[in-house]
Amino acid sequence: MQGKSRLMSVLMIAIVVFSLGLVTVSAQDEQSFVIGISNSFVSSEWRTQMIQNFQDTAQELSENPDLGVEIELVIESKDTDAAGQEQQIQNLVNRGVDAIIVNPGDAEALRLALEDAVAAGIVVVSIDQEIDGEGIVNVVIDQTEWARISIRWLAETLGGEGDIVLIEGFVGHPANTARMNGVEEVLAEYPGINVVGRETGSWDQATGQQVMSDFLASLPNIDGVWTQDGMATGVLTAIQTANPAEWPLATGEARASYVQNWNAILEERPDFKSIGVVNPPGVATSGLMVAVELLLGREIDPEQLGGPYGNTLYVPIPYVVLGEEWTYTNMDGEETVLPSNLEEIYTEVAELPESYTLDGELTLEEVEAFLLPAS
Amino acid sequence: MNNRAVQLLNRNPYLLSLLLLIIMVVINRALQDNLFEIGPLNGNLRVFTPAILVAVGQTFVVIAGGVDLSVGAILSMTNAILATQIPQDATGDVFVRALALAIGAGLLAGALNGFGVTVLRLQPIVTTYATSFIFAGVALRILPEPGGRLPRELTSFWRNPLAVSPDFALPMSLIVIGLLILFWVVLTNIRYRQNLFATGSNAEAAYSTGIRVNWVKFSTYLFSAFFATLAALALTLGTGTGNPRAGDQMTLPSVVAVVLGGTRLAGGQGNAVGSIIGALILGLIGNIISFANLDSWVRPLVDALIIIAALAIPGIFGVMRRLTR
Repeated sequence: MQGKSRLMSVLMIAIVVFSLGLVTVSAQDEQSFVIGISNSFVSSEWRTQMIQNFQDTAQELSENPDLGVEIELVIESKDTDAAGQEQQIQNLVNRGVDAIIVNPGDAEALRLALEDAVAAGIVVVSIDQEIDGEGIVNVVIDQTEWARISIRWLAETLGGEGDIVLIEGFVGHPANTARMNGVEEVLAEYPGINVVGRETGSWDQATGQQVMSDFLASLPNIDGVWTQDGMATGVLTAIQTANPAEWPLATGEARASYVQNWNAILEERPDFKSIGVVNPPGVATSGLMVAVELLLGREIDPEQLGGPYGNTLYVPIPYVVLGEEWTYTNMDGEETVLPSNLEEIYTEVAELPESYTLDGELTLEEVEAFLLPAS
Repeated sequence: MNNRAVQLLNRNPYLLSLLLLIIMVVINRALQDNLFEIGPLNGNLRVFTPAILVAVGQTFVVIAGGVDLSVGAILSMTNAILATQIPQDATGDVFVRALALAIGAGLLAGALNGFGVTVLRLQPIVTTYATSFIFAGVALRILPEPGGRLPRELTSFWRNPLAVSPDFALPMSLIVIGLLILFWVVLTNIRYRQNLFATGSNAEAAYSTGIRVNWVKFSTYLFSAFFATLAALALTLGTGTGNPRAGDQMTLPSVVAVVLGGTRLAGGQGNAVGSIIGALILGLIGNIISFANLDSWVRPLVDALIIIAALAIPGIFGVMRRLTR
C-alpha cells in the first residue's frame, strides 16, 4: 500500500516536472517584442483610429499561434513639434524597444534621429508619410494616386468642362503636396476644366465649411469642387446651407458622417453624385505586421520597394465609395471598374459614430507578398 | 540653522530650482536605468539645448522688466535662413556666411522689438506679440515648406559626443551649457549687471542715478534675439533641416523655464543659470512622463500638474518664510 502510494507520488512529480518543462519550452518558442509607437498629432479622429488599430493588431498578432510572438506596445502620442517627436523617439530607443513605428509630423527633421535608431539595431517603419532615410521602411498608401482617383472622377463626371475650385489640406505637409501633384497631373489632361479658386481648409471640417461658403458667395457659378478627407463633410454642409439653384459637383470622403449625409441627401435629390476614396487608418495595422515580420528575421523583397526614395511599400487603396459604377483609368491607361457600393456601405456605417473613417488593412498573407521567401 | 537655510535660499533663489532639478534627475534615473550613459545623456541634452538657449535669452528681458513673445518666431526665421543657406555640399565659408546672415537677421529682429519698446514706448507683451507675426511671416516666405538638408559632417559634429580620450566623451551640448554659465558669471562681474537689475527693479530710480535705461532695455531684446538665433543653430544642426514653424512651441516654455529658475516675472531679480536649470527641469518632466508608462490621454494633464507644482514651490516656500518670522 505504502509502496504503491510512493510510486504514485513519484509519477505525479514526474508529470508535474514534465508539464512544467512543456510550459517553459512553449514560452521559449514565443518571442516577445517591445514595439514603440511615435505619433505627434492627437487632435484628429483619423489618428485616434490609427492608435486603436495598433492596439487591436498587437493583440491579434500575439494571439496568432502561427506567429508565436508576444507584442508589447509603448505608445508615445501627443501634440508636439519635431523636437518633441525627436524626444519621443529617443526615449523609445533608450527604453530598448525592438522596433519603432512612427507617423512623422516632419518627414525631414526626424531622419537623423531615426537613422540613429536603425544604427542601434532597431527596426524602423514609417507609416502615412514617406521618409528618406538609411534603413527606414515606409508603409503608406500612394497619396498621389489617392488624389488622382477623385479628381479624375470629378473631371469625367463634369464631361471634361467647367469651372472648379480646389480645397486642400495643410500647405507644405508631405501628404498634401503629393496629393496636389496628383491633381495637377490629371487636370493637365482636361484643358476644358478651369481651376478658378484654390484655398486651404486645413483638414478641418469647420474651416472647410467656411472656405466653401466664401467660394459659393464669391463664385456662384462654379460647376465643381475638389476637396480631401477631413474637410468634405464641411464642404457639403456649406453647399446644403447655401442651397444654390444648381449644386456644384463635390468630391466627398470615406467617413461615416459623409456617407450618412450622402444617403440622406439622395432621398430629396436622387441625382446627387459624389465619391469617397478610402484613406485607411489601417495602414497602422499593415505597418505593424511588416515590423513584426522584420523582427522575426524576414527580409523585404527589393522588387516590392518603390517610391521617391526607393524604400516604400505601397499599401493598396482599399476601395472607393460610389453611388454608381464607374470605370477608373490610371496614368498608364489601365482601367478598373469600380462598383456601385453606397447602399451596402451605408448599411455598414449607419449606426457607427460620425467620426468613423472607413478602413482597410493588409492581411498577413498580403504582407507575406512583400517579403522574400522564408529561408 | 533653519533661519540660515532660509537666508541662503532668499539670497539665491535658483538654489531651490537646483534642488528641484536634483529631484527630477533622481525620479528620472529611478525610471530609466541608462540615463547617465553617454548615448542617452548626449541625446537628452542635445534635444534640450534649443530650449535652454531661448530661456537664457528670455532671462535678460524678464530681469529688465519686459517679456519677449517673439523668440519662437525669431527661432523659426533663423532656422529657415540656416536651412536654406547651407546646402548639402556647403563648405566652411558658406556655413560662416549663412551663420552671419542668420545672426544679422536675428539681431535686426531684436532691434525692432527694442525700438517698439523703448522709442515707441509700447508694452513689451504687445510689441513682441505683434512682431512675432512679422518674423513668422518672414520664415514662411523664406521656407514655405519644411525642407533643406545640411552636410552630414556638420550634423554629426553637433549630434555626436566629442571624444576627449578613447574612453571619455563629452556631449557637445554640455560644452555649450558650460560656456553659457561662464558667460553669465563674466557678465555679473561687469557694470552691465547692475544697470540691468536696477532698470528692472525701478526704471525711474535707475534713470535718476544716470543709468541709460532705454539702452539697457534695448540691449535685452538684442540678447534674447541673439540667443534665439543660437537656439535655431542648435536645432538646425540637430535635425539637419529647417521648418518654418520650428519655434511655434518654444516661446511660452521659455517663460516657464525662466520662472522655474527663480527669476521674478516683475523684473529686477533673476539668474540665467536658474533658467538653464528651469529648461532642464521642463525637459526631464517630458522624459519622466514618457518612462512612467502613463496612458497617453492623461499625459498632458500630468505634465501640466507637475509644472504647476514646480512653479508653486517657491510660493509655498515664501508662505513658510512669513510664518516662521
